[in-house]
Amino acid sequence: MSANPVLSVKDLNVSFNTENGVVHAVRGINFDLHAGKTLGIVGESGSGKSVASMAIMGLHPTTADITGSIQYKGKELLGLSDKEMCEHRGKDIAMIFQDPLSSLTPVYTIGDQIGEVLKVHNKGMSKQAIKDRSVELMRLVGIPDPANRLKSFPHEFSGGMRQRVMIAMAIANDPAVLIADEPTTALDVTIQAQVLEVMEKAQEETGAGIIMITHDLGVVAGMADDIMVMYAGKPVEIARAEDIYTRPAHPYTIGLLGAVPRVDRADKVSLVPIDGTPPNLLNEVHGCSFRPRCPIAKSGGQCCKDVAEEPALRLIEGAGEGHYAAADIAEQLVDARPEDLYPVPEVPESKYDSIPREERPTVLEVKNLKKHFPLLKGALVKRRVGTVKAVNGVSFDIREGECFSIVGESGCGKTTTLLEIMEFNKETDGDILVNGSSVHDGLKGSELLKMRKNQQMVFQDPTGALDPRFTVYEVLAEPLENQGWKKKDIQKRVIELMRTVGLQPDHVNRFPNQFSGGQRQRIGIARALAVNPKLVALDEPVSALDVSVQAGVINLLEKLRADLGLSYLMVAHDLAVVRHASDRVAVMYLGRVVEIGHVDQVFDNPIHPYTRALLSAIPVPDPEVEASRERIILEGDLPTPLNAPDGCPFSTRCPIFKLLPEEKQKVCTSEHPAMSREGNLDHEYACYFPNEEVAIVSATNPEAVVGVSQDETPWGDSALAADSTVADSSAAGEGSIRA
Amino acid sequence: MFKYILKRALTYVVMIFLVTSAGYFLAVQTMNPALLEQEKIPRPTPEQIQANFASLKLDPQMSAWERYVQWLKDILFHFDWGRSPNGAYINSEFGQRVWVSTRLFAAAIILSLIIGVALGVFSAARQYKASDRIITGYSYLVYIIPAPIAYFLVQLGAVAINQAAGDRIFFVTGISSPGVEPGWPTIVDMAAHYLVPTFCITIMSWGGYQIAQRQYLLDSVNADFVRTARAKGLTRNQAITRHALRVSFIPVAQSIAFTVPAIFTGGFFAEAIFAWPGIGLWSLQAIGAQDVNAATATLAYGSVLFAVSAILADIATTIVDPRVRMN
Repeated sequence: MSANPVLSVKDLNVSFNTENGVVHAVRGINFDLHAGKTLGIVGESGSGKSVASMAIMGLHPTTADITGSIQYKGKELLGLSDKEMCEHRGKDIAMIFQDPLSSLTPVYTIGDQIGEVLKVHNKGMSKQAIKDRSVELMRLVGIPDPANRLKSFPHEFSGGMRQRVMIAMAIANDPAVLIADEPTTALDVTIQAQVLEVMEKAQEETGAGIIMITHDLGVVAGMADDIMVMYAGKPVEIARAEDIYTRPAHPYTIGLLGAVPRVDRADKVSLVPIDGTPPNLLNEVHGCSFRPRCPIAKSGGQCCKDVAEEPALRLIEGAGEGHYAAADIAEQLVDARPEDLYPVPEVPESKYDSIPREERPTVLEVKNLKKHFPLLKGALVKRRVGTVKAVNGVSFDIREGECFSIVGESGCGKTTTLLEIMEFNKETDGDILVNGSSVHDGLKGSELLKMRKNQQMVFQDPTGALDPRFTVYEVLAEPLENQGWKKKDIQKRVIELMRTVGLQPDHVNRFPNQFSGGQRQRIGIARALAVNPKLVALDEPVSALDVSVQAGVINLLEKLRADLGLSYLMVAHDLAVVRHASDRVAVMYLGRVVEIGHVDQVFDNPIHPYTRALLSAIPVPDPEVEASRERIILEGDLPTPLNAPDGCPFSTRCPIFKLLPEEKQKVCTSEHPAMSREGNLDHEYACYFPNEEVAIVSATNPEAVVGVSQDETPWGDSALAADSTVADSSAAGEGSIRA
Repeated sequence: MFKYILKRALTYVVMIFLVTSAGYFLAVQTMNPALLEQEKIPRPTPEQIQANFASLKLDPQMSAWERYVQWLKDILFHFDWGRSPNGAYINSEFGQRVWVSTRLFAAAIILSLIIGVALGVFSAARQYKASDRIITGYSYLVYIIPAPIAYFLVQLGAVAINQAAGDRIFFVTGISSPGVEPGWPTIVDMAAHYLVPTFCITIMSWGGYQIAQRQYLLDSVNADFVRTARAKGLTRNQAITRHALRVSFIPVAQSIAFTVPAIFTGGFFAEAIFAWPGIGLWSLQAIGAQDVNAATATLAYGSVLFAVSAILADIATTIVDPRVRMN
């Protein structure tokens, strides 16, 4: 009977004995998972979501203390021995892990690894049957040429392909429960869209109940039926997906939704930062775990009725069916917007806002920048066998007080561009001008040092970027010492910097490991600002941070830009962050800029097919938008810059190219398209035929191609407009289905 | 694959040639056996020494280059590595000594390898339990104890057993007893001679393999792909033996190949203490005796062993790791 849940978790508690004491990582989870349904578990790092999933799989070491009940189709799984549990793992309950690069054994072929999961659970299955089933699975997850690819080793697959293999292994025995732990976090957005589609297909095929664990509210918006928000090892809210997004009832959920920048919103409002950090679960939690960060409690209001007691999950009336929240005044919060609850900083105003862009001085100018790496072969004598054109003729400029972002998939050359600018090497091919001085001016010694202080950098991983043996004072003083500051001035400046980035000045003698991730990134920013740079290069400045912390850092960056008149050159893969923080944006593909312009122009009216595909791939934290959104799913992976195709580098994956008549295809493959300007706007693109129809490709069945003519934004200006994408095209007489 | 090995082999041949030639020049420039001859009683005249050395092709009056060409020609055309100042032929002496070294070390190397890797796996599976602490603790202890001291201790132990038994069960020195009848008595005699040195070298050598194998296996026991294997339905032990072990053996296989030449050429303590005159001891004696040709020959032998080991390591890595099978 379908009314019976396939998986039922009751009062699950997990604690670990560590050197520092007992960590109570999961403190009571209850849920039922039904066949064919998807439960999203959302939470920040350390919220216990992965620990809970590993407990269901029975993969914790025996030292973990797990209590409660986990029932699979009525059978209790807790307390089973490793051997008994093996009967269920991979057969009834399967799991997809986060990092596809390390989750496959490097020394076995894909065929061996898929075959293994079949062999373990189907004793006596013939070799031929295993092979046939493996090929079938590979085809199901959309891996081309499956029979031959079975003989390949994992390192011959890209990350996206490896994640497909993981999915194939997970669904091999038609499991009733499929647990996916951050299945797309390590992947690029276009690949993420492919993988999500494969997962939906897998669910259709197997009818499995899926538990989707993620930190990204956008990823689950389109997939999940129910969503559980976890905080400090406990669910704080459980509801149907649409209710979570439209009627959140717990202050934490409300804050999370406000903290995520939206790629589909142009209006400039500051993000909602949730101050503070989650509690350390080494200590017992007294009262509401969210209380120290709760905006209601902070502003003196009354959220918890009993401060000493942790509020339990309870049914909330009038907020949709089966909506539970662990907040005593949840009913009053249902209609509250994040801005009502949380103190939101005002949008900082910069003195440059009123000056037109053309009249502002240029801080950085990049002209036809190229970076080619020779590919060498041979042991003793190296031969050049090819060239990796990592950056292949990139030009842009950044004016004072402006944030310019470069986006693109990994391997597109965005970081190389950034590093070339930071390196400021006179051997550079092309030209880089910082504040008017060119790389080819041959600056030396003190002049070069003086020039270098104008360009500073903030790194992606704040933990790795700070020397663990330096105190914060030493970290911040080092650049000043290099510039020859006097000791007394340095002291004053360090204190000033701490205040600027919102840290307490008396913490200067602490070491980086005594700070949280967000605070460490603030230290990184303070270090970059120490010498009063004009241009700050931000390399994925928030990608290593949790959502709630990320908002605070983004707000800080915006404020500093306005207050200090800084210019930013940002590299990021999160397009929502880019949209929120930037003025102008360049989209890179295989070492070239394919589209550049004002951020609203590029995001609301993308012209280049790659930009359109990229933008349509981003999940939006709103189930309504998600349901109506038409994704342009790109086929395949980013080609390596080594075998970049002739002419337009995008032609191999281009959804327009696919449907073009042959003579037009020839145009695309003959020469790289030059930049064209869209009207009089700050918006340029490199495409010959942007207005032709677009092929919509299914990730699981690349042969089925549906043509759709160009429409407005990928997510539609409104849900209504987006709904009619296909209708529009058929009205225009261009809609076509090809087999 | 075969082509690749051939290419590597060629590279090593060039390397061996360069190392040996450089070693020869160094030896010829610095070693002067004539000085030692003068300490003989009765002291030979300089003319006698000169005539004697010239007949041995060790003429000290020839230039280094001339002697090098002469030496190289003999090796290339006759495979004759020359003679020692006392007139002994390097080729025959070398042959005997290699055989002695091989008998002394071969069994010990294989045993320590098997025991070391097995204990490494065993202790990794029981990380931080008493058995792991004892096994790994012993391996570190072996690192600090100088080999000769351990050898002497074992020798003393064997002597004590002999005395307690009132009979000579173990020989603590020498290769074989003279005048033993062939057949069963010879086998017993051989075993009695082999047992103590093989035991000593084995217990002193497995520590390195044990520590390496334990460390690499522990690194991969918690790897993501082992977790994947368990999620497929393999038990913990199955997942470790099928997935972690092979990956962890890759670096160990490489290190094995490179420790073998070190044991062979560096085993002079064992050779001296157990009175097995092998290659290691010979190389030291050659330097002491100002013997240019012998010193160069042992150097050449070391580099050949190294090259063979390196190629073996390549082959071993290729077998266990498909990622290097390309190109």
